[in-house]
Amino acid sequence: MEILFAILRILFFPGLLFVAVGGLLLSGIDRKVLSRMQRRVGPPIVQPFYDFFKLMGKETIIPHHANRTVYLWAPVVGMVSLAVTMLFIPICGFSAFSGTADLLVVLYLLTIPAVCLIVGGSASGSPFAGVGISREMVAMMSYELPLVLVLLSVARQVGSLSLQDIAAYQAANGCLLFHWSMIPAALAMLLVIPAEAGCHPFDVAEAETEICEGPLAEYSGAPLGVFKLNHAMKLFVLTALFCALFLGGITSGIAPVDVLIVFALCAVVMIVCVTLLHGICARLRVEQVFKFYWTVVTGLALVSLILAWFGL
Amino acid sequence: MSYIHFPIIAVMLLFLAAFLVVIFGTRRKNLRRIIAMTAAVISFGLIFYLIKPVMFDGEIISYWMGNWQPVEGYAIGIGYEIDALNLFFALLVSFTTLFSGWYSLRYMERDDYLDRYYTLYLMLSGAVLGLVLTGDLFNMFVMIEIMTFAAVALTAFRNWTAGALEASFKYLVVGSAGSSFVLAGVILIYAQCHTLNMAQISSILAGNEGLTPTTVLAFGLLFAGFGVKSYIVPFHPTAADAYTAAPSSVSMLFSGMVNKAGVYAMIRLTYVIFRAMDISAVQCLLVLLGCVTMFVGVTMALAQHDFKRLLAFHSISQIGYVITAIGLGTALGLSGGLFHAMNHTLFKGLLFLCAGAVFYAAGTTNLDKLGGLSKKMPKTTAIFLIGAFSISGLPPFNGFASKWMIYQATYEKAVTTNNIGYAFVTVVALIVSVMTLASFIKVTQSVFFGQLKAECAEVKEVPLSMRIPMWIMAGICLLSGVFYNKVIDWLLNPAVAAAINVSNYIDKMMGDGYAAAAGIRNLEIQGATLSFWNPLMWLALFVVVFFAVGIVIVTGKRSRGQVLTEGEEPQAKYDAFFGGEKALPSHVAGGDLFWGFKQNWKGYFRFMQRAHSGIVNDYALWAVAATAVFIVYLFIFVH
Repeated sequence: MEILFAILRILFFPGLLFVAVGGLLLSGIDRKVLSRMQRRVGPPIVQPFYDFFKLMGKETIIPHHANRTVYLWAPVVGMVSLAVTMLFIPICGFSAFSGTADLLVVLYLLTIPAVCLIVGGSASGSPFAGVGISREMVAMMSYELPLVLVLLSVARQVGSLSLQDIAAYQAANGCLLFHWSMIPAALAMLLVIPAEAGCHPFDVAEAETEICEGPLAEYSGAPLGVFKLNHAMKLFVLTALFCALFLGGITSGIAPVDVLIVFALCAVVMIVCVTLLHGICARLRVEQVFKFYWTVVTGLALVSLILAWFGL
Repeated sequence: MSYIHFPIIAVMLLFLAAFLVVIFGTRRKNLRRIIAMTAAVISFGLIFYLIKPVMFDGEIISYWMGNWQPVEGYAIGIGYEIDALNLFFALLVSFTTLFSGWYSLRYMERDDYLDRYYTLYLMLSGAVLGLVLTGDLFNMFVMIEIMTFAAVALTAFRNWTAGALEASFKYLVVGSAGSSFVLAGVILIYAQCHTLNMAQISSILAGNEGLTPTTVLAFGLLFAGFGVKSYIVPFHPTAADAYTAAPSSVSMLFSGMVNKAGVYAMIRLTYVIFRAMDISAVQCLLVLLGCVTMFVGVTMALAQHDFKRLLAFHSISQIGYVITAIGLGTALGLSGGLFHAMNHTLFKGLLFLCAGAVFYAAGTTNLDKLGGLSKKMPKTTAIFLIGAFSISGLPPFNGFASKWMIYQATYEKAVTTNNIGYAFVTVVALIVSVMTLASFIKVTQSVFFGQLKAECAEVKEVPLSMRIPMWIMAGICLLSGVFYNKVIDWLLNPAVAAAINVSNYIDKMMGDGYAAAAGIRNLEIQGATLSFWNPLMWLALFVVVFFAVGIVIVTGKRSRGQVLTEGEEPQAKYDAFFGGEKALPSHVAGGDLFWGFKQNWKGYFRFMQRAHSGIVNDYALWAVAATAVFIVYLFIFVH
């Protein structure tokens, strides 16, 4: 019975289906808001769903340089690990699995989709993908340092690495975002999200105009669709993580309404850190990304960690 | 026959087989294989049998050679003493011996003078096994000597390859310096305590004499000597050369057991003999050395162009994790360190065997010359990916469990001591883990994926007899990651308890009440219990969903790639995309990767390149200077 519930959680709420639908909706909102910022009408909000189903129906071409198994399975592994990540993130206090130190587990689970993108791109045998995975890896090294510092400073503030405890702390003491020593960490986290999700201006790995979507250059059909879905899911998972870390404790007491509140918060966070940056910035070069993250963003996170450490 | 004889038989068999190979195996190819493998299998079996009494029932085996019992309270004979800590390392050693031997049966068949190979291999294995099982400090030194010289000779085994003799010469010089430090330390201890038995030394040092300037000096010398054997920075450059030049099965021995022997000696020294882990200066020294080691190791690995050299620097880096973890001095830290040591034996052995398979198949391990091998060697690729994911610490493989324990232990240490420095240790460990991943992505892309190089067109998959040991090790990597709680209960908790509570160890050797008379008491220790998540359930569900979705996509599309029938033109759509141009062979490999990172760190890399000059004088100087620094540090902060 317990296993059955766990499977239901993994497949529907808050697992695969929920993240997929939520992510695609977020992605649609992103496109709509961006086009309004650029004075365009933009596609309908459900356009990402159309795109996804269209790609699922297309022919899958496996290039003859590719390693077939890895090429086909990499996107699926990425998708499943994103769905599993969501199970650890409390949504309005509810999370499917809980434990003592979910933050580090979440950190590791979040690296798997990026690794899948890299391994899948690498397996496709394209030189564009070769350049793309190199950039993706550098981007990963860039954002991982500030992300670790952000997580540790939140953990220090709360006194626990557990996401459950973080949620409980915020329910008792109000949002961490409004605690002044956490503000730099929240800013750093806002900057980590677009890089982790591979969004403009930090999308050095996929850079359509330079290296033809890098790791995805050879992908087509259903695997490409799944990778696009992964991108959308990642947006949702990361913004939900932001909400869990900094915007917890906002509840109405009614479960369905809470889910809507969290989703709305996610959309707001995404508009601030993804859409806005996309609208106003040009893409950085890969070594600029690295430098930016290891100086500015790391500095912000470090300030928070030191402030939190000494109890300020 | 009672099992108290098993440890000594396990060691003697390996040495005996080494001589038998020389006597009978020079001409008879199969006989020497049989001798070597029989010894390795029986030795592993004997050690494995001891798990039940020592690990589960908590017995400590003491064995006085020739039944020379202590006289008037002083140990005069050589004693073997096996508690859970030695047994843990002995298991790693005999496991590595067995699998390396199994793999070399096929891997080494193209080499000449194999009788010498098997002799040296058995000498090395016997020496390391003796080192971890002995309870006598001078016996330990003797075993270190045998180990060093067998290792030097094995490094130079393929002396027709470039750099083999050079590497073995470097190993000889720096390794002898390390052995000399150990010898000097042993002499000082003997002068001070009038005994060489480790249990007795521990209780004498705990008494009123304690830490005198002489014993602090001895501690510094032994510390440096064991540091050389575990290849921590700044003693590491010889290791990189030796691992690269030696045949892969020997590299596996080096990373799987030779540097583990150094780690074991370090734990025995700091936790048991000197019981120095309460001193925060010693903790800081170990943690600092561990952090520097893991960081230097991984950044050097990122810059390498040779598969095995890259793995060698990773060995250094992973030992950094182990040293950091044991330096914390907490039960959780020590279990994390021991777990990581075990996992490192598994996955690094596996990766060295993969490198060996690539060498066997393609004749080179140069990352810039290989490419696209996954088409030709799909099974080796799968095994390699398991090893690479394990070392990078991706869940649910074993590297994740042990690294997770190490992060947890460092963070806990930071919280309990309220020292922000330990929080930065956590950060460094996490970043090093990402860089580890990066350098394995580099290998994956350079060797296995990408486009098949024309030079590699004739490559064939390695034979099954080489793949079986690799598959078994890959399986253990996954299983010990999923059932980490079993590993903790069965192996780690007894070993940690043995390292922290030394009075049983002393009493068993010197008679009941000996430790209590010296004022050593047992502490209550909290065994590491982890409940962070339930990976078994997680894995089960992962598998369910994975199969559901995977099957839908993989079979639903029925996409088989390009299937050419006779006389059919290849279709252009299956070619690599080149922006509309005609596709050319092009492979992004080794040196082309991670430009953005190297660009930002070019000053650091230039410095490291200058520092690793390749001149053995420099390395010997580093070793001596570092030893001097350790001693001065200990004199300032400990005494």
